[in-house]
Amino acid sequence: MSGATGLKWLSKRETLRVSKLWTQTILAPVISSLLFILVFGLSLGGRIKHIEGVDYDIFIVPGLITMAMVQAAYSNNASTIFQARFDRYVNDVLSAPMHPWQMTLGFNVGGIFRALAIGASLAVLAVPLVGVPVERPFALVAIVMLGLVLFSALGLVVGIYAEQWDHTTFIQNIVILPLAFVGGVFYSVSILPSPWHELSHVNPIFYLVNGLRFGFLGHSDVSIWLSLAVTAAFAIPAYLWAQYLFTSGRRLKP
Amino acid sequence: MCASACLAAVANFEGVFKDTAPALELRGLTKRYDDGTLALENFDLEIPAGSFFGLLGPNGAGKTTLISAVCNLIRVTSGDVLVFGEPADTLVARSWIGLAEQDINLDRFLTVRETLVYHGGYFGMEGDEAEARAEEMIDVFGLRPKRDVRAPRLSGGQRRRLLLARALMHRPRLVILDEPTAGVDYELRLELWRYIRRLHSEGTTILLTTHYLDEAEELCEEIGLIRGGRLIARDTAAGLRDHFGVDRLTDVYVKAMEVSS
Repeated sequence: MSGATGLKWLSKRETLRVSKLWTQTILAPVISSLLFILVFGLSLGGRIKHIEGVDYDIFIVPGLITMAMVQAAYSNNASTIFQARFDRYVNDVLSAPMHPWQMTLGFNVGGIFRALAIGASLAVLAVPLVGVPVERPFALVAIVMLGLVLFSALGLVVGIYAEQWDHTTFIQNIVILPLAFVGGVFYSVSILPSPWHELSHVNPIFYLVNGLRFGFLGHSDVSIWLSLAVTAAFAIPAYLWAQYLFTSGRRLKP
Repeated sequence: MCASACLAAVANFEGVFKDTAPALELRGLTKRYDDGTLALENFDLEIPAGSFFGLLGPNGAGKTTLISAVCNLIRVTSGDVLVFGEPADTLVARSWIGLAEQDINLDRFLTVRETLVYHGGYFGMEGDEAEARAEEMIDVFGLRPKRDVRAPRLSGGQRRRLLLARALMHRPRLVILDEPTAGVDYELRLELWRYIRRLHSEGTTILLTTHYLDEAEELCEEIGLIRGGRLIARDTAAGLRDHFGVDRLTDVYVKAMEVSS
């Protein structure tokens, strides 16, 4: 007995949950991000024209995809583990013959699946709609995977620590969303005056947005290697933290 | 030929060895919760394989803590838990345990069939095997009309039956039932008793906790009385009555609790 079958079924359960609620989990964020692209791109695009030589409606697409994916990965995993704890259904998994690393991985799958479904849908719609290119696909895949590991693991950690539902949404509304907005989704930080320009560089989502922008457009405010390194520097501890909670049983087992 | 015969002999020997090990062995089990509550203190217990053991005690006696320690649902402070001779935290030991908890803890996103199939999957069953076993359990527990209904839409009795079906889904060798008939009507209680008796007659070891003394007397071969995290008496129902010099198990319970307080 290796626990591999358990991991497979836990991963299936987490993706099934996303699929069953697809109108809420995938369609709604795709529509809202698409509206951002259309409304901001078309209305502001008429006034701003170009940022760093790129049409504004194209410039904002990578950032909006990042924002949608990051929020989906986080909120999915925070809610799935919180609900599993709240309903105590998590005991069915914790008592199963699976290693803690398999539980951590299995619970992470749902957020990654959901975020990828949203990101892929948005990319498929945005390419013909505004003509956004995909200049560096390998870099794009690498930064997306690191970003999703970071935010799905963060969702798990917060969902495990949360005492109430509000705690999970608090982090999303007070931390992730504002950081995404000031992370250069709608503008290039190079146009910001000091100290806002420098302060932007302490925001991890800034590196993620710029990493995706590099993948799509082929250039960004910072080097892709720096984007990958910073995102990995946050993703690895976040994942290890989630792993520690499953291994030690802290917050999951009294 | 010789090599395969020898391997078969070793496998047989191991099978015999495992079967002779107690179904459950607790040695010096202690659990102190983070708030300082001492739920179990240096608790020893051995339940033979194939037996039907009942654990009786008031609320807060440590019954659910004991079960949680066996099923890896709490962080044990100290002591050992062995299931058929294997440490309870090993994967193989976990695969031998089936647990029906006191509270209904069903996955709200899954239908009756999915609840069973996914549980089977978590416990190592492959797709076809899990599907076939789930259909079997659906029939055994009379859930056929609700096969594709999600757990929150089931009645209380149906949820209770599904909980028991889920615990038995992966054919566990040791079934732990934490107050399985709490809050159910008399008819369903009798129905659940029938399922449990049948399970035991097929050779499954059963550990049952209950508040109902008649239930313990009706079902269990041996009864343990627990209070304040300690085992205060253990015997057959008749043995307990003789020991305490009373005619009814209710009086045994009252006397035992008085003596231990």
